[in-house]
Amino acid sequence: MFTRNFRNICRRYSQSVTFRTTETSPVQQNDNQVGLFYTIEKDVCKKLFGHGGLPKSYMKQTKTFTETTLMIRQPALDVIDCIKASDLNKPAIRYVLYGETGTGKSLTLAHLIHYAHDAGFLIVHVPWVSEWLRRVPRHKEMSNSQTREGFVDLPLDAAAWLLHFKTQNQTLLKCGDLKISKDYVWSKREQTSAGAPLAELVEQGISRVKYACDVIDALVYEIKLLSNNKQCKTFVAVDGYNCFFYPMTRLNTPTKKKVKPEEVTLTTTFMELTKNDWTNGVIVLSVDQIAVPEDHQESYLPKYLLYKKGFEHLDPFVPVEVGRYSEKEFLSCASYYRDRLWLRGPEDLETELKLASACNPYKFMELCAPL
Amino acid sequence: MSVFIKYSKPGSLGAVFNVQVLWRFNSTTAESIRKEEDEEFRVLDILKKKDRQQKKQIRRADIQPDRADRMATDQNWGNVWPGPKTFHPSSVPLPIRQGYVPKGQAPPGKKANAELMKIPNFLHLTPPVIKTQCEAIKKYCTEWPKLLNSEETIEKHYPLEIISSDYCHASPTIRNPLARVVNLRIKLSSLNLDKRARDKFLRLIGDRYDEKTDLVTFIADRCPMRKQNLDYVNYLLTACYHESWSVEDWESEKTEEDMEYYDWNNNASKRSLVNWFLKCNNEEKELTDEEYKNFDISKIPNAEGYKNAVNSLMNDGECDATLKTYGSSVRKLLGLPEKKVT
Repeated sequence: MFTRNFRNICRRYSQSVTFRTTETSPVQQNDNQVGLFYTIEKDVCKKLFGHGGLPKSYMKQTKTFTETTLMIRQPALDVIDCIKASDLNKPAIRYVLYGETGTGKSLTLAHLIHYAHDAGFLIVHVPWVSEWLRRVPRHKEMSNSQTREGFVDLPLDAAAWLLHFKTQNQTLLKCGDLKISKDYVWSKREQTSAGAPLAELVEQGISRVKYACDVIDALVYEIKLLSNNKQCKTFVAVDGYNCFFYPMTRLNTPTKKKVKPEEVTLTTTFMELTKNDWTNGVIVLSVDQIAVPEDHQESYLPKYLLYKKGFEHLDPFVPVEVGRYSEKEFLSCASYYRDRLWLRGPEDLETELKLASACNPYKFMELCAPL
Repeated sequence: MSVFIKYSKPGSLGAVFNVQVLWRFNSTTAESIRKEEDEEFRVLDILKKKDRQQKKQIRRADIQPDRADRMATDQNWGNVWPGPKTFHPSSVPLPIRQGYVPKGQAPPGKKANAELMKIPNFLHLTPPVIKTQCEAIKKYCTEWPKLLNSEETIEKHYPLEIISSDYCHASPTIRNPLARVVNLRIKLSSLNLDKRARDKFLRLIGDRYDEKTDLVTFIADRCPMRKQNLDYVNYLLTACYHESWSVEDWESEKTEEDMEYYDWNNNASKRSLVNWFLKCNNEEKELTDEEYKNFDISKIPNAEGYKNAVNSLMNDGECDATLKTYGSSVRKLLGLPEKKVT
């Protein structure tokens, strides 16, 4: 027992490269920690990403490693710097994360959400837009919108998202400072009156799934209003945002009519949220090649993925590229994998892996799996 | 083969082998064998190889040396080969070889070489001959205009280029179907077109315009004769030119989508920038399209760079460089720190 522990300790401390940092709050992180890993506490992780937000393959890995660690990388720090430097009283600034497949856009977004959580933002986070518009399980719940003519509701998805929103913002919602501004009448017997806390609105959506889409619509309206009145600051994060602009979704109405994304109520809601006509907000979006079907994956650049329409909707936005690992980041990641015993073997294995993976983080992870 | 025959007398005690006769079954006798050895062994020569080899060796002794070998090195070649004619090995003092090359050998020489006779030759068109011929016809030429002394002036006064090809080959007919093809080239800048007419002209001619060289090229090969094709390309140019100047009713319906290039002033990008600026200054205003178009962006700090960045992103296409300039100009516009270079 003792020898094994001793060996473990020896292994830990014999490595010359430091790859961990104890700075667990993204608010405090700075450029000195680029390339180092920090651990997200378990309860925070469960709170923020319990209902999605981290890629599946990464989730698997965190389970294997028994910890959720993120590498502190330049794009995330860059956005954090910008957020700190910007004046929140001005209209919300849009940041668009782009990059090749597997370079860590979603994880950068996760890092930023963690930052927003620590900095006390109200988080409006859509884990993966394609989940709504492109993934069609056998029983996809769809209905025609009651309030808006010609629109399609996705009540189950909407309710699931409300739950996600509720868990992410449980502390802010619990304190009850956030009140709604006007009466919402859902049906003859159900209504949410003005002055009720925001949590009540969310609860309404979760318990009465039928109205979930309308609740989100109202919620977004209220959040914008509250932010404008400086009662809260809001952090909007949408992963795979370009999916909203691909001309077709994979949804079919019961009459077998193809649904366009702008005919889905959730789309219009989040379009409204990503405009820059409100203040006290930060909007971080990611555009991803794999959010749209293969015929539109030729380039990873934002204008191509967003189409002209999306570009004009977001313009002016700050493009932030999430690139491949740099030399330092790669070494740090390799030593982290070695520490987790995910990677074993001779020292010169790294050079080979570096060439084989071309410093692409996802590929590197995949290549290390059988080693 | 030998056979031993046993001979015995009845009544005697034992068999006595006292007589042995050697018996030859062959019909030849010892005499005939000797005869064969004297004569030569005759081979049946069906292909008559021996005779043929002998035939080859027969040569004429009184053959003249080749004319090509006797030529003087300083002779006037124009006199030896004055006009176009089929190759003749004795008249050409050159070690020419042509034809199928067997492995490990040189190509066949010039003598009795059909390959050399098949191809057309230009031995009558050596540079000195051409020079003398040019000298001879010079007296019929007019002088080159002095003012057309550079490429630019030629291009200016004669913007139109007609390119056609003549073919010369040795075959029963002197006509080549490719000779009918006529190319017409003209610089687009040399045509008198305004902005609208230029756009229409470009749309009419489609892919016949090369942006890099600014050349418009019409190619005609639909008529059987060159003259007809020439008329046709001239007609095409004239028709396109005049058509691009005429304005149709439906042209007023051109929208932003149909624009040939991205004009930032007319686009949503300017609208969003102006909205953003007004919002920053807490001015809520509803502007009409005209007001958006004419909004003076010099009031907005760093807006000029942003405008140029969006223009280049839209017009030059999206790549890393244009996106980078766009990013940095947006950061300047919004007052954000520059991206750190790692």
